[in-house]
Amino acid sequence: MKNQEIDRIWHWRTTVFVGFLLAIVLLLGVSFGPISLDFMKILRTLFGLSGGLQDEEKILFLQLRLPRVLLAALVGAALATSGAVYQTVFRNPLADPYLLGAAAGAGLGATLALTGGTKSFYAALPLFAFLGGVLAVAATFIISGKAFADPATLLLSGIAIGSFATAVQTYLQQRNSAVLRPVYSWILGQLTVADWNVVKWASVYIVLALFILIRMSRLLDGLLLSDEEAFSLGISPNKVRIIAIGAATLATATAVSASGLIGFVGIVVPHLVRGLTKRATNRALFTVALSGAAFLVLADLGARTLLSPAELPIGVITAIVGAPFLLFVLRAKRVLK
Amino acid sequence: MIEIKNLSVRYGDFYALNHITLDIPRGTWTCLVGPNGAGKTTFLKTLLGNKAYDGSITIDGLEVYKNLRNVAFVPQRPEIPAGMDVTEYVMLGRARLDGWGRESRTSRRLVQQILEQMQLSGMRHQLVTQLSGGEMQRVLIARALVQEPELMILDEPTSALDLHHQISTLNHIEGMQKSGVTIVSTMHDITLGAMYAERIVIMQGGKVLLDGPANDVIHSAQLKSAFDDAITIHTLDNGRPVIVANKSAAIL
Repeated sequence: MKNQEIDRIWHWRTTVFVGFLLAIVLLLGVSFGPISLDFMKILRTLFGLSGGLQDEEKILFLQLRLPRVLLAALVGAALATSGAVYQTVFRNPLADPYLLGAAAGAGLGATLALTGGTKSFYAALPLFAFLGGVLAVAATFIISGKAFADPATLLLSGIAIGSFATAVQTYLQQRNSAVLRPVYSWILGQLTVADWNVVKWASVYIVLALFILIRMSRLLDGLLLSDEEAFSLGISPNKVRIIAIGAATLATATAVSASGLIGFVGIVVPHLVRGLTKRATNRALFTVALSGAAFLVLADLGARTLLSPAELPIGVITAIVGAPFLLFVLRAKRVLK
Repeated sequence: MIEIKNLSVRYGDFYALNHITLDIPRGTWTCLVGPNGAGKTTFLKTLLGNKAYDGSITIDGLEVYKNLRNVAFVPQRPEIPAGMDVTEYVMLGRARLDGWGRESRTSRRLVQQILEQMQLSGMRHQLVTQLSGGEMQRVLIARALVQEPELMILDEPTSALDLHHQISTLNHIEGMQKSGVTIVSTMHDITLGAMYAERIVIMQGGKVLLDGPANDVIHSAQLKSAFDDAITIHTLDNGRPVIVANKSAAIL
């Protein structure tokens, strides 16, 4: 028994494997659609080699497919990572990125933009949604009493703010029934608006937030313990909590304002990764981000192709595919134990 | 060396700890006793540093709130994380030494060794949420042991354990103490406390009532008065004191 040692808690092999999967999924994502593009030609175009895509195909690839797939990857990574972080911070496996009122606030912001009436308001929808989400989370913190409120108080404040924002949103919708349809389709989530502009500004915030979260992911494990235990292991739980919630909210609000409310990614992906690797550690956060990206790119592929040329709302796909898969993993985990 | 000077912790007008001054020499085992609500747990958490306090607590000259010393804490009611197995949980104890999220080869060997010592190897892949109270208690002690702390703070380390595991756990803690670690614990079982700790501090109403060598304190009038005279001290043939609650007085 001498010199024996236990296995590593986390293997980088897992992360590399998921990164490889993501690369394949991205390729599938840009290749398939109402018009299929050739794999090799795509790769040649990307690397600037001769024999790449030409004319309409090239425009389709560069102006439509690529930004859309990239946005799906960004949003998927943002939602999955924020979900995992919220679940850790609130020590609650059911927590999702929309918990602190970010979704309801963004929904209210979007509705305000749509009911504003003029075309310029409509264009400002992402900005309104973003501000709505951030303000709602800020309000949640303020009514919970103090910055370092305990998780349960924060959660209940989030629910109160969320309900309030939803109520105002419903009132506005009833008064302006003309916007019911666009608001509804926005709530179900959509990536159809993706263009390079959206990808550019979304990537700035999402990459920044994910960078912060993944940098600090190792410390997040401490939040799974009581504050005293975390403190005795050398971290300041309140500081870690505030930074984590701040960064996760930034990622969520950006994702929501770029693509509407895409449900289930924040819950299903972290649990999939934990279930398949049988590890609770937040060291998996980078892997969770990669998995979230792959998951949403695949879901978007389904949304575009299943009823082609018509499109399904992507939220429908994430739930239809995600729910049974999650149940399967949870059951398998219990059996294997 | 821990120096506590004029330490107070207040909740509004209520003093949970009321101007406590105490020195705790390195490598000793100090056991806090006293009735419920005497401030024992508050004292432990304040000593850890994660609680606002007036006055000063220093370990080798450094104020504890700065969190610069390697102090292990074994809580009475831990937060038990979902989806984490025993190995992963115990490995958290190495976070301060290895850096969070890393584990050195030394750490992996040490964790393996301690799991064996604590008879936990068999359940190292089990989820911590599935452990019994006693098993969890041993896992907590194991995590504190792998932390290789200079000070170990334990809140009722034996309350969830059966008689056999009470003794084996206390023996492990005593082993730590012999290797130079300072131990501060609470223990509701004063008889057991007196068997292991060389020093006993009686607390009541947030104050230190008496503090001294275990044997002196056990036989003092203050111990009885702290428990409203509801206890009797017997001495066994081998000279060991045994403290029992009085049935008639307990009704009050």
